[in-house]
Parts: sequence; structure tokens; C-alpha cells
Amino acid sequence: MGSCPGAEKPWDGCSFVLSAMRLLCSPALYGKVLLGPGKALLQLSFYWKRGLFCSPTDEYQGSAQAQSYKNLCLLLRAETLLVKLGNHHCFGDHEAKEEGDVAEARCKKWDMCAAEATTSLLQVEENFSACLARMDALIFKPLLQSEPSDQKGKENFKLFLLLNDQFQALWNLTEENYRIVKQKCSTSESFCIQDIYIVWKGDLFLSLYIQYFVTFANYVVVHGFEHATKSKSEAWKHHKTVLKQFLTDFTTETSMSLALYTVLHKPVRDHVEQYILLLNKLNEVLQEGSEKDIVTSAVKEYVKLKSFISQVLDEACFTKTLWKSLGYKFTDMLCVPERRLLEDSKNLPISASTNRSDRILLFDDVLVLIQGNSFQSFDLKLVWVDETCREKSAPGPYGLRIITPEETFVLSAKDPQMKAVWQWKLNQAIRQALNGKRDFPLWGKTGEGTEPSSCRFFTYVFRLESKFKNASYEGEWHWGKPHGKGTLKWRDGRNHVGDFKEGLEHGFGICLVPRRSEDRYDCYKCHWYEGKMRGYGICEYGNDMVYKGYFKDDVRQGFGILENFSAEHPFKYTGQWENDKKNGYGVWEDKDRGERYIGTWLDDHRHGQGIVVTQSGVCYQRTFHADKMVGSGILLLEDDSVYEGNFTQDLTFVGKGKLSFANGFILEGTFTNKSGQGLQTQGILNTSNEQLDERITKAQLGLKEFPVEKRWKGIYDQFLEFIHSGCKEEMEESFTGFHIQTSKELRKSQEYLFCQRGTEDVSWKTEDILEELVQHHELGSLQSYLEKALKSSLHPLGKLLKALTIAFQATYSGIGANRHLLTMAQEEVKYYAKKIWEFYQGLLHLALEQKGQLPAKCVDGEVSDQKAYSVVLPLILPCFYPELFMLYMLYHEREDDLYCQGIVDLSLFPDIKLLEFLDVQKHLWPLKDLTLTTNQRRSLIKDKCFLSATECLQKLITTVDPREKLLILQKTYEEIESTVSRVVEKDYKLPMDDLLPLLMYVVSRAKIQHLGAEIHLIRDLMDPTNQGGLYDFLLTALESCYEHIQRMRLHQRENCHVTRTS
Amino acid sequence: MMAIRELKVCLLGDTGVGKSSIVCRFVQDHFDHNISPTIGASFMTKTVPCGNELHKFLIWDTAGQERFHSLAPMYYRGSAAAVIVYDITKQDSFHTLKKWVKELKEHGPENIVMAIAGNKCDLSDIREVPMKDAKEYAESIGAIVVETSAKNAVNIEELFQGIMIRTVCSSSLASWCWLCRRLLVSSELAAGLGHAAVPAVLGGVCLHRDSRL
Repeated sequence: MGSCPGAEKPWDGCSFVLSAMRLLCSPALYGKVLLGPGKALLQLSFYWKRGLFCSPTDEYQGSAQAQSYKNLCLLLRAETLLVKLGNHHCFGDHEAKEEGDVAEARCKKWDMCAAEATTSLLQVEENFSACLARMDALIFKPLLQSEPSDQKGKENFKLFLLLNDQFQALWNLTEENYRIVKQKCSTSESFCIQDIYIVWKGDLFLSLYIQYFVTFANYVVVHGFEHATKSKSEAWKHHKTVLKQFLTDFTTETSMSLALYTVLHKPVRDHVEQYILLLNKLNEVLQEGSEKDIVTSAVKEYVKLKSFISQVLDEACFTKTLWKSLGYKFTDMLCVPERRLLEDSKNLPISASTNRSDRILLFDDVLVLIQGNSFQSFDLKLVWVDETCREKSAPGPYGLRIITPEETFVLSAKDPQMKAVWQWKLNQAIRQALNGKRDFPLWGKTGEGTEPSSCRFFTYVFRLESKFKNASYEGEWHWGKPHGKGTLKWRDGRNHVGDFKEGLEHGFGICLVPRRSEDRYDCYKCHWYEGKMRGYGICEYGNDMVYKGYFKDDVRQGFGILENFSAEHPFKYTGQWENDKKNGYGVWEDKDRGERYIGTWLDDHRHGQGIVVTQSGVCYQRTFHADKMVGSGILLLEDDSVYEGNFTQDLTFVGKGKLSFANGFILEGTFTNKSGQGLQTQGILNTSNEQLDERITKAQLGLKEFPVEKRWKGIYDQFLEFIHSGCKEEMEESFTGFHIQTSKELRKSQEYLFCQRGTEDVSWKTEDILEELVQHHELGSLQSYLEKALKSSLHPLGKLLKALTIAFQATYSGIGANRHLLTMAQEEVKYYAKKIWEFYQGLLHLALEQKGQLPAKCVDGEVSDQKAYSVVLPLILPCFYPELFMLYMLYHEREDDLYCQGIVDLSLFPDIKLLEFLDVQKHLWPLKDLTLTTNQRRSLIKDKCFLSATECLQKLITTVDPREKLLILQKTYEEIESTVSRVVEKDYKLPMDDLLPLLMYVVSRAKIQHLGAEIHLIRDLMDPTNQGGLYDFLLTALESCYEHIQRMRLHQRENCHVTRTS
Repeated sequence: MMAIRELKVCLLGDTGVGKSSIVCRFVQDHFDHNISPTIGASFMTKTVPCGNELHKFLIWDTAGQERFHSLAPMYYRGSAAAVIVYDITKQDSFHTLKKWVKELKEHGPENIVMAIAGNKCDLSDIREVPMKDAKEYAESIGAIVVETSAKNAVNIEELFQGIMIRTVCSSSLASWCWLCRRLLVSSELAAGLGHAAVPAVLGGVCLHRDSRL
């Protein structure tokens, strides 16, 4: 900025001298001009160089000014152009003096002011317009006709065309507005602010001027005028001679280009100053008001424009000089019309630490380090300047650390001032590069908006050897590293879209990896942690397999489900993974064979104890060794017979074994199976046993082998870790799995980039969850809170329950419904309740801690278990009920059959007969309820007595909650009691002697299917504190009825037997 | 708050011997402020203080009819004590009692406390079972024995006190001497119970104090 001091100083009445000065600033002109000019000019330049223009008005009043003016005119001889130019100033000055008198009458109306302003504007514009016309005729037209043929020239010509376009636009705008106002002037006397179009249409004018000068500067930078003057076209050659007559002093080629440069920018530039003068005058005479404000701000804008123009031109000259001084090697690569040199280490010494660069160039878009014949350039958008040397290799006292995506180096200056200037210039250049707009800030300006943001968004291709080599990253950056959201793309088609942190994948991301042989991709939607997959993810493999589960260090680890959807060998594995392989407890379903393996795994093989259930209901437990069955096992057949010994996978007996038949016969011996000969055996058949022990036929598998605490550890571990890590919102999905809505959306579209939180009516942000936990930890609201939480697909507890449901179903649904698995399943559900309660406690503890409240002292395990059963179990039971009840039904199948037959028998009895049969005391019979219609005999009426109790008991199957079932039982009793009280007409407390027969009556009338399964489910899952209490008693009473009905049937059968044999 | 110890007690005995009457009588004079729900006379509870504890009796009635005998195990499983009731005016009921004792010994819970109650002692003039027979029988099986009258509220409290002391005999307050089959009660507990109650069930102090402890 030092090169054009005049630009900033508004010198009244001395614009012309200033224009001359402008010429002088250019060193190229300096020599040439001084050859021809008179002494005055010499003096001018002398004074100027010494900075003696502090009060030019005094010194250059009168003769000096006039002289210099004349001299310059002579000097340039471009009368057609420059005399006009001069005229402006002369007229301007004259007017100014004349109007000095006018200015006294400031009180004049706006009309007057506007009229005057309009008149002077018209005058100025008229001259300018004429000037532009001459520029067009003498310079643009001839140059446009001479399109060069060489490559370089063509490129420049394109720029010239652009310049012409801008010029024409500017000219047209001036002409057009001038004409309109002129017209108005001739017809009307009244004027308004709209007529001062340079104010009213200020933006349009400003932008056209800016565009013109920017284009002009681009043309200057590429040495456009030099090339143009050398044009070989005939038209130009001819024209050149004509032009030369005007520009006599510019006889050489160089001076010719200089003259062109001058005549193409100077008049325009000076015209801007004319505007400023004019507006300033107008402003002075205006009174305070909205119009004045508008004019004031317009003046400001034009002053800015003026300074903009001078800076643009300065930079263009500076850059042009650089290109001239650099070798072709560099200019070919670096020279772009729009690029501007901002600083050069030759001007302002600084050196780079690495590769000992000899020159550092700061452009408006790149930073270039030159060393010998090579150079390195860094896009400013990805350059960070760090002055606080935070790393070990401190950049020295006056160093600046330059951080770029792949390289970091230090620029060291000799002194703090130098460092400060470079730092400021670098930061300003970066900021402007980021904004995509040049704004020429004032030196030293600091504060808001003057520093470049450290977070950027940009695309970059990694070149150096690293994890990301050859990948292009498009996204957010922070201090030289991908940070925030972004996309990485490799040439082989691999790409990663997601969150980054300090240069590594971190957070959620979607990664596509092409498969080697096929034209398909593995698609990972997963959480990353410091560059590696960790936490919950979904991987859709290109071979139709899908993995949903946890990862660690890029491999499958923890709980996960792998499902093969292809038609060939479809399977599903639900269980534990270690090091990318099936390891630990897991369930494998072979969908082709209709088999399910429940057991332990080692490196993708069945290994250790395992249970196999098949479609046909057969079930066996064995030891496996690398997928092979070893040793002997127990085979539980569908017809209740049991085989203990060795057998093959297709269930043929081999070697020593013991086969126990359902009728009690036991065959013990050695079995062989030669092909085509069927099963052969040698052994002893024991027929002495009456019936096979229930302990064998109802044997429960897997209890010792797979203790409930060791099942699904992978699920619990993640939640535990989540709590231990402090329940960070951003880690929530990584630990507990995707939100259901999210994963649905992910499935819908592979291009879908980032998770969007689904909206439920309640906020399930982690902090809100913790807050709510604290609010609801009293027992009253706890129940409803937990119910809501467990139903939500976004609450961690809800997600935990969901995961457990999936694991449970994978084991016990479908072919897993086998009565030998009942205890395993029942234990598991109870354990879930216990774990969920534990996690709830953990969350609550954390929430209280975060609120600064001291969590209550840890309650002992027994109380905690009790809570789990009384609070949590009823809430989670609905999720497991279908599978669990199915297991109970299978387990109690035979008893239930017997009971059903009993019920059928009893249902044939009319009411009175049944009461009699069950020994209900006569005075308790509700005979009044037996209303008779004609043709009915009382003794034949059915289903009328104790109807209310019967109907109540039938509701037992309408709920899955053991608590509610027990309540129904209690109500049933109350109904019985109230009926009896009605009959005996007083409060009657039923002793068991009376109650049991009545209850039996009600049970036999209620005809509940699978009553055995119901009773046992209630007993197993009810709150253990009920033990020995009222509900236990009621349930026992019900159970005894159930048993009794079965036995009645047995007795009948035996009696039949006896009578038949006798 | 005092700790509550729950005590499941089941009632066995023929129909008509007054099983539920005994319980009704026992429960009638309620110590509780809040009356716990019951199932008629079939299931009742009563809370009684004992030392610094509260003992809650959960009393399960059973059906006395012969045809329901086979269902009894469901009711007495998990019981701490069984009260077997006979009618002193009916020899048959004493026979049934013996059957119950036998069954309990074979299939009942281990260490179940048995208490024999000869009910209807207000009708001793038509007595069929001599008191001596009952005492000797009880002695032979190590059971508590009392003759009660539900009608006149005789020995009802004492019966349940005895059960309570027996069931807590593993605690520091009382211990059971297996040689002389007597209960050793600390003075503290005895004071808590009231002196009158203890000798009615026990009498004397045992010399074999260390024999089983």
C-alpha cells in the first residue's frame, strides 16, 4: 500500500497532479516519462519521492499546477484522451470555485441541490462518455480485430474479450443513465434523489467498476498489453501507426504497451474520483435527513471503490513484475491470470525450515516454496498458521508453524516484526481464500472475523505414504487434519463417509469396500474409534451375509448376529465373537437341515458342550471337538425314550449305549449299524420297571454346562461399559446399538450419510434420561417410568431388552421350543430381569452422582434380586411370554392332556350332580341361581352355579403378568365367598374343607386349557416374596384342584381296568 | 422397625375336629393394627412379637376329607410347622393324626415342628382319647402337645407360642436339647414371653446344656 499514498488522501482540487503521480509510481514509467517532461515534472517527482506532498494545495497553487498540467499534456500528447481527462479536472476545479459562492445558500431546497448536482453529474458524464467512446474506437475496436494465433496470445485474447465486455457494460450503463436524466433535464425542472443515479443505482455502478478493474488487472498480470502491442495482424499494424501519432513519445514497443495500460484505466479511475467529489459537494449542501444518509453512505462506498482500484492495480503490477522475474518453468505452472502475489520473501525475508527453500511466495490462493528448479505449493484453504509453538520442535523465537494436511514446516523470520507481518499476511490471505473474496484489510486490524477459521471444508487428495494414500477427502478440516464430517474416496471404489477426529475415522461412519473378485461391496455402517471400527455396527457383506453386532479393532468382537440370506446354505448365528470368529456361547441355526445348535464355539467351530434341537423334536446334548462329536451323549427322543451313549450326527446309535423306552423297558448293550443291514444290537433288555422316571423324560439340558451368567455376556458387557464410561450421548449408539428408526433409514439407502435421530414423543437424550431417572426413582413412579423406558426403542434399557429378546428368540423360538430347554429359558428370563435391574441401578447411581447427590448406600443382593423380580420381571415378561409359555405347554403336555380329559368328563355333569360329586356341603349350594324355565328339571341344569367365579377365573389367560394372574385368582375366591355368603345369608368364612370342593367346581367349569402350564409359569415367575403367603396359598389351592382332576381321571381309568379284568 | 420372620404353619386333621376354629380363635384377638387379607378361614395370618422380632404366622388350612389326603403335600411343603388336630371325643381322629405324623416324617419338610392339638377339651366328659396317650405319643415323636378348646379359648395362645419357640430354637435365644427333648430358653426370651407361657410347654431346665450346641 505504500506505493500509492495519494489514493488515501483526498486532495482537493489536485486530482490531476495526483493522476500524474500515479503514473510516476510505476517504476517502468519513471524512466521513460522523465526523458521527455519538463522541469516541473521532474520537480514533482522529486517532491513526491521525498513525501513532501503533505500540503500540496499551498505549494501547487497557481503556476505549478498549471505548468505541470501543460507539461503532462505535452508529454503524453494523447490529446484526444488526456485533454478530456484534464478537462474534467479543470472544469471540476472551476465549478468548485464558482459553486463556492453557491454553497453559501445551504438553506436551499433539495430541489435546488438535486438540480445542481444533476447538472454537474450530466456534465461529468458527458465528458466521460465521450472519453469512453474514444477509448473504444481507438483501442478496443482495433485490438479486437487482431486475434493472435499463438496459444499464449489466444489465452490473453480471451481475457481481452472479457475486458471488452466489462468495458462495454460500463459504457452502456453510463450512456443509458446519462441519456435518461438528460431527457428529463430538458423537459422538467424538478429533480429527486433518484436522478442522481450513481447514488440510486450505486450497487450496480460499483459492481461494474469492480469487475472492470478486476478483469483489467488479470489482463495486466499476464502481460496482456505487451503481447497485444506485438500483435502481428495487419489491421493492428496499420492502426498502430495511427495511434503512434497520438502517442508520439512512445516510440518503442514497451512504451506502447505502457501507454495502452495508462489510457485504459486512468480515465475510468479518475472518473470515480469525480463521482466522489460530486457527491461530497452534494452532501455538504444537504441537510440532515434520510437523503443525506443515503448520499453519505454512497460516498463511503465510492471511496472504498477508489481504494480498491488502487490496491488491485498495485497488486497486479507487483505480480506482473514477479512473473517477469521468474523463469518459464515456474510461470508455466504458477501463472494464472487471477493469481496475485501478496508477499515475497525477497521483499520481506523469511525462510522455511524444511528443504531449505530459497524463496517463499505468498499468493492469494497458494503458498509456494521455491527451491532450485522445483517448487511446492500449498492451497491456502488447507494452511493453518500456528504461532504458539505447541509442539516439541519449537520453531524458534520468530518462527511460524505452517500446518498443511501432509506437511508441517516452520517459517522463521529474523525479527518479531517480520514474523508479525508474515503471520498477519498469511492469515489474511487464508481468510480471504476461505471467504472466496478479496477485501484488502487494513494492516494490523484484529478481532472478530479477521482471523481465518480453524475449521474448514475442503477437498484434498492424500499423496504421501499413509493410511489415506491416494484417497481424496472431502469434508471438514481442523488444523491440517480431517475433523468433523467428511468423505474419503479411494480409486479402487472404497469409500468412507462419516465422522472424523484428528485425522482418523472416529464416530459413526459408512464404509464401502469392494470385494476382490466380484462387482460387489461390503458395506459397513459402524462406529469408529481412532481409525478403527469399535462398537455397534452393521455390515452387509457382498455375499448376502449380514452381521449386526459389535466390533473392536476392525474385527467382530462381542455379541453379534451373522445371517446368511443367500439361497445356498442359509444360516443364522447369534452369539459371541472374538477376533472376528465365533467364540464362546452362541446359537447356530442351520435353516436347511432344520437344526439348531446351542452351545460353545471355538474359532468358528462347535467346541465344548452343545445342545442340538431338531425340527422333529429330537434333542441331544454332547461334547464337540472342532465340529466333531466326541464321547457319549444323551439323546432325548420325541416318544419319551432316552438313549445314553454314542451316536452319529444322523442319530444312529454306535457302540455301547443304553436305550430307555417310555414304557420303562431298558435296553443296554452294543449297537452297530452296518450299511443296508439296519440297526443291530447285542445286549440285555430289562422289562422290570413300571414307567420311566420323570427325571429322565423331562430332563432339563444345559443348566450346568451354560450357567445363566455366562450366556449373552457380550450384550451385558457393552451396557456395563456404557455406564462405566459415563453415558456419553455421542457414545450411546456405539454401545447400545443403533436407534431402531436410524437403522431402518440406514437400510433404506446406502447413500444416506448421517444418522438422523428419530423423534418419539419423549426426548431420550442421555442427559434427559438421567434427569428423569432421578425424578422417578421413588417406587411409586418407578414402575411406570421403567415400563415406558423398556418399551422405548431409544432408551438404553429398552434397547437392552430388545437385544435380549432377539437372543432369547434365537434360542427358544421355532425349533428351539423343546421341553428339555424349559429351565434354561426360565432361568434366563429371570436373569434378564436381574441384569436390567442392575443396569437401572447403575444408571441411577450415575445420574445421582452427576447431580452431585450422594447415591444411597448399596442395597444388598437379596433385596436387589427381590426388586428385579417384583418390579422388572412383570414388565419384561410380555417380550418373552410366547416362547416361554410354549415351553411350559410342552413340558406339561401330558398332565394337561389328562386334566383336559377330566374336565371333559366333569363337563357332562349337571350342576347339582357335580356339586354332589365333589362333596360340596348341601347348605352351600346356590340353588337360587338355578332358575327354571318350563320343561326343565333342576337336576339337569348346567353352568349356572358360581357363574361369576367361573367367569372371573377364565380371565386368567388374558394376561401374561403373574401378578395380574394372581389377582384374578384372588377375585375368583372373593366371588365364591360372596356367592356362598349370599346363599347362607351371612358372612361366611370358608374353611378349606368347604373351599376346596367349591374351587374344584369352579375350575372344572372354567375349563382353562393348559392350566398346568399356567400354574407353573405363575409359580416360577411370581414375586418370590409371595412364598408362603396368600397368593402362594391360592395358587397351591388351584394346583391341588388341577392335580385332583387329573387323578380322578387316572382313578377312573384304573377302575375301568379293574372292572374289565375282573 | 422390627424384623419380621415369616412362619408357615399348616393345619392337618380330619374334617370336623375344629382345625379352622383353632386358627380363628388364635387370629381373633388381633395384635396387628392392619388386618391382613385372608382367604376365608382357609388362609390366615397373625403377627406376634417375640424378643426383638416379630413373628408372622402364615396359617394354611387343608381339606380334611379323606379323598383330598393325597393333595396335602402341596400344602405342607415349605412349612416350618404343622399343627395336627384331633378331637378328644373321637378316637378315629387320633388315628388319622398318627397317619399324618407318619406321612410328615416320611415326606414332610426336614425339621418340621409338629404340634399336636387335642381339641374340644371342654367336652372332656365324653372324651375318647386319654390325655396320657397323647402325651406319651407326642413325647415319642418329639412333638409339642396341648389339649385345647377353641370354643373356650383354652391353650390356643400357648400352642402357637410353643411353635414359635421351637421354630426359633436355632437362634441364640433358645435351643433345643436333643437328649431330653426339651427347649432351653434364655431368660431374656422367657421374660419376653411371660413366665406363665413357658412352663406350660416345657417345665424345668435341662442339664445337658452343651449336648447339641
